[in-house]
Amino acid sequence: MRLKEKLDKELMALVMKKHRPALEELYDRHIKLIYGYIFKFTNGNAEKTKEIVQLVFLKLWTTKSSYNSEKGHFVSWLLTVTRNVCVDYVRKDSVHIRNNKHMDMSHPIDIEDPNNDIENGLLHSEIANAKSKLSKPQKRLIDLLYWKGYSLTEIAKIENEPVGTIKSRLHQSLKLLKKHLEVGGL
Amino acid sequence: MNTECANLLSFLSGELGEKEKKAFTEHLRQCSECTREYEQMTEAWNSLKWDFEEMEPSSSLKSEVMNFVFETDDEVLVRKEKNWSGFFFKQFTPVTSGLLLAVLVLVFVLLYSNIQLKKELAAINLPMEVKTSLSLQPADKTAVNMNTDGAAYILQQGDERRLIVQIQNLPSLQESEVYQVWLLKDGKRRNAGTFKPDEAGTGSLTYKLSIDDKFNQIGITKEPDSNSTKPRGEKIVGSS
Repeated sequence: MRLKEKLDKELMALVMKKHRPALEELYDRHIKLIYGYIFKFTNGNAEKTKEIVQLVFLKLWTTKSSYNSEKGHFVSWLLTVTRNVCVDYVRKDSVHIRNNKHMDMSHPIDIEDPNNDIENGLLHSEIANAKSKLSKPQKRLIDLLYWKGYSLTEIAKIENEPVGTIKSRLHQSLKLLKKHLEVGGL
Repeated sequence: MNTECANLLSFLSGELGEKEKKAFTEHLRQCSECTREYEQMTEAWNSLKWDFEEMEPSSSLKSEVMNFVFETDDEVLVRKEKNWSGFFFKQFTPVTSGLLLAVLVLVFVLLYSNIQLKKELAAINLPMEVKTSLSLQPADKTAVNMNTDGAAYILQQGDERRLIVQIQNLPSLQESEVYQVWLLKDGKRRNAGTFKPDEAGTGSLTYKLSIDDKFNQIGITKEPDSNSTKPRGEKIVGSS
C-alpha cells in the first residue's frame, strides 16, 4: 500500500519504526494545521513558528508514547502534542517569566482573533462563535492561559488579582464556552 | 468539596507537578462532583485548540524541518555513543588500569603453566621408546685389565628426548674428580653433564636433549672437577 493511502495512525506507527517517508507524509498532510496553530501561539512570529514546527516534528520522530485511537482523533492528539511543545518552548525561554515583571500594564495584550472565514472548519467557527460570547476579561484570560502558555499564578500576577479570582473566572469562562458550543452544535 | 477540588483547573491546564497530578487523578476517581465538572471543563478546554486558522507555510520549510529532525536525531545517537565510550574509559583510573594489567599478566602466566602441565601430563601417558642405543667401550683398548663397559640410549616420549648413560666398573675417582659426558658431532663437543659412580664403579646419567642436540658419538672423560667446558682429562670410555 502506498503511503498516501495510509491512515494517519498507520503513518504514525511507521514513524515509530523510524520510517522517514512516513514523517514526510504526515508533514504534507498536517503542516497547514500545525503551522497555523503555532503561528497563532507565537502571535505571528515567523522565526519562532519555524523553530517550534521543527521541534514538533522532532518530538513526533523521537516520541516513545505512540498514538492510539484511545487518545481521540489523530489531529486532536497532534494539536495537543503541538501545544505541549509550544508551552515548553515559551517556558524554557524564561523570557516569558521575565517579561512578566516588565510587562507594561497600560497596554492590553492583544491577541487577534482570526477573521471568520468561509474556509474555516466547522470546529473553528463553533469555537469562535462561543468565544465571542465571553466577556473581555474572560476572553483575555483564555488567551493568556491557552494561547500564551502562562500559568494561572502568572496570570494572577499579570492581572494583579488573587489566584482564586482567576480560577473562578476560568471556571465561568469554560462553562460559558461549553454552553455555547452545545447551542451551536444543535 | 475538599482542598483537592481546588486543583481541578490547574490540573486541566497542565500546571500540576508529577506528584500533585497523581494525587488529583486519584481524587478524581473518588469525587463525583469533580469528575462531572472535569468532563465539562475538558470539553470546553479541548475545543479551544480549534480557535485558529490553517496557514500555508513557505515551500522551503519542509526541507528545513526534515533536515533539522534527522540531523538532530543522528546527533543524539552519536552523543549517546560518545557518552557510552566516555563512561567506559572513565572506569580506567591509573590504579584500575594497573590492577587490570596485573590480573591479565597473572592470568597469562597461569594459563601458560597450565598448558605446560597439560602437555607434560599428556606426555606421561605416551609410551617411552628407545630410539637409539650405543654400546660404550674403554677408550684405551690396550688396558686389558679394564672391564669397564656400558651403554647409552636415546629415549623418546612424545616430543621429548632423553639421553641415558649407564656404565659399570669405572675406575674410582679422587676427591673432586668427576666423569663428564660429551656429545660429539663433526669434531665438535657438547657438554652433557657430569656424574660420580658408586663404590662398585657403577655410574649413570640422564640428560634432556633439546631438539637441535644432534650427535653421532659419545665420549666420557675423567675431569678434575665439574666445571669443564672442554675435556681436560683423559677419555675413559666412548662409543665406537
